[in-house]
Amino acid sequence: MIKEKSNWNLNDTALVPYWIYTDPDIYLKELENIWYGDHWIYCGLEIEVPEPGNYRTLILGQRPVIMVRNSADQISVMENRCAHRGTKVCWNRSGKSAELTCPYHQWTYDLNGNLMGVPFRRGINGEGGMPKDFKTSDHNLRQLKVEVVNGVVWASFSIQTPPFREYIGPKMWRHYERIFSGKKLRVIGYNRQRVDGNWKLVLENNKDAYHGALLHAFFATFGLFRPDQKTAMEMDESGRHACITSIMASGGANAVASSLPGFDASLNLQDPRLIQAVKELSGDETMGSSTIFPSVILLQQVNSIQARQIVPRGPGSFDFIWTHIGFDDDDDEMRERRVRHANLFGPSGLVSADDAEVIRMAQQGFEMSASEGYALSLMGGRSIENANNQASESTTRGMYQYYRKIMEI
Amino acid sequence: MSTYSYANSHRREFNAIQDFYSNYMETLDDERINEWPDFFTEKCLYKIISRENYDENSSLCLIQAEGKGMLDDRVLGILKTQKFGPQRSRRFNSGLKISQISNGLIHTRQNVLVIQSLLDRTSSILLCGSAYDQLFWEGENLLLKQRIVVADTDVIDHALIFPI
Repeated sequence: MIKEKSNWNLNDTALVPYWIYTDPDIYLKELENIWYGDHWIYCGLEIEVPEPGNYRTLILGQRPVIMVRNSADQISVMENRCAHRGTKVCWNRSGKSAELTCPYHQWTYDLNGNLMGVPFRRGINGEGGMPKDFKTSDHNLRQLKVEVVNGVVWASFSIQTPPFREYIGPKMWRHYERIFSGKKLRVIGYNRQRVDGNWKLVLENNKDAYHGALLHAFFATFGLFRPDQKTAMEMDESGRHACITSIMASGGANAVASSLPGFDASLNLQDPRLIQAVKELSGDETMGSSTIFPSVILLQQVNSIQARQIVPRGPGSFDFIWTHIGFDDDDDEMRERRVRHANLFGPSGLVSADDAEVIRMAQQGFEMSASEGYALSLMGGRSIENANNQASESTTRGMYQYYRKIMEI
Repeated sequence: MSTYSYANSHRREFNAIQDFYSNYMETLDDERINEWPDFFTEKCLYKIISRENYDENSSLCLIQAEGKGMLDDRVLGILKTQKFGPQRSRRFNSGLKISQISNGLIHTRQNVLVIQSLLDRTSSILLCGSAYDQLFWEGENLLLKQRIVVADTDVIDHALIFPI
């Protein structure tokens, strides 16, 4: 039941109707036009499949895929769905294998997804078997377009998707390179979280600097993110991607921070190692959060670096998969520091757990009045431009400008 | 299969440990979270880690506290800065076993199950896993030197706010 377009003021994305977060038809169109369209979807890190035969299984949009390093030492991504009966070929989350064999009838594929063997193809004792015109080459696993960019693996269901660097544009590239400079990465571990909310809400959440110090009292209280600290919000040309960067202000709680409702200047951490960071990335920024539309948020705050992957599960639910990242040359102290700082993030994060709760409550609000309500993004006006303060929702308006175009609504 | 039972050879100790865990669970279930760090010694290690990370020797935890100070900081976060919807969580342990006693440290293992109750929803399993602990006697009192909860639960339903 897609609502009339008149329900969405045609020239404006400062008001976003609730039904785009709840309508099943809209959701199906999003899968086709966005997730399976001309967009790059985050798959993981190159080092997660270090040697030929190493594979990992994951879900892009709602489709299970396999990311594998093939015998030519290249990364392929293919659908994890046997050409025979649609069964998942790889069942484990990760593994190593010279070929991929479906457990059901032992159809076997090479590491590029080419069908190599069909048991009893010529029948048993001359009876049965595949028709004579059966060609294995007609039944390969569907391969996706793949690009490995400074250690990160991206895949697209569309062959028309432009090269990744062009896809994110020069502004976002600068922020991408800040974390992913080409330096060898390592995985610190994963968090997996299921949130009863529409997948777009988590992109909005990570484009929204306005909530940073308000929702996350931990940030404001301990000086990591103050409302008046120097903040830049930038978008690519299309408005679909955005990056928030910010520079921590010195001097702890000032008048602006103290004016926050509920702010308590008497609170102190017993063990400040929880937030004590060492400068490691280029530039003056102390944090950076990039939303690469539609699938991932790349975020650095203190010495925690994460790729937060979005897996939509219908209009009202998504999985949020966090890969915590370090560098190969981290010393023991840095390794320990990253795990310590991860206490702020993930499903138990002193900061991030707030976001899951807020998204759940937003979705409950939408579902109760889907046909009449609007979410407002009016801070900073109605225009779509880069901003240099936290009291702007311009980047959310930017995303919905692109969204309306790609969704034709 | 080892048939040796510390529970039989250390009956009084085993009863005391059972009491300890009953008090520990009661304190958390009754939301006396500010008393939670008192079950630990000053230099302690507390972790809730997913089975996925544990099995791959990845160090990332859901919650990690190195020392009582970080336990206190977690409590401060829960009580003062974190935002979450109304909820109750209740812990069920089973299969408590003393797996080893050496150098004054009592190693235990048990299953843990946490049931979460949110408003307008039926109760559900928040986390299922096992706990590997190290306790010792400080005078008359047992204290935790280490508690590592390994979560079988692959995907956390929203948020795991309160400790286990």
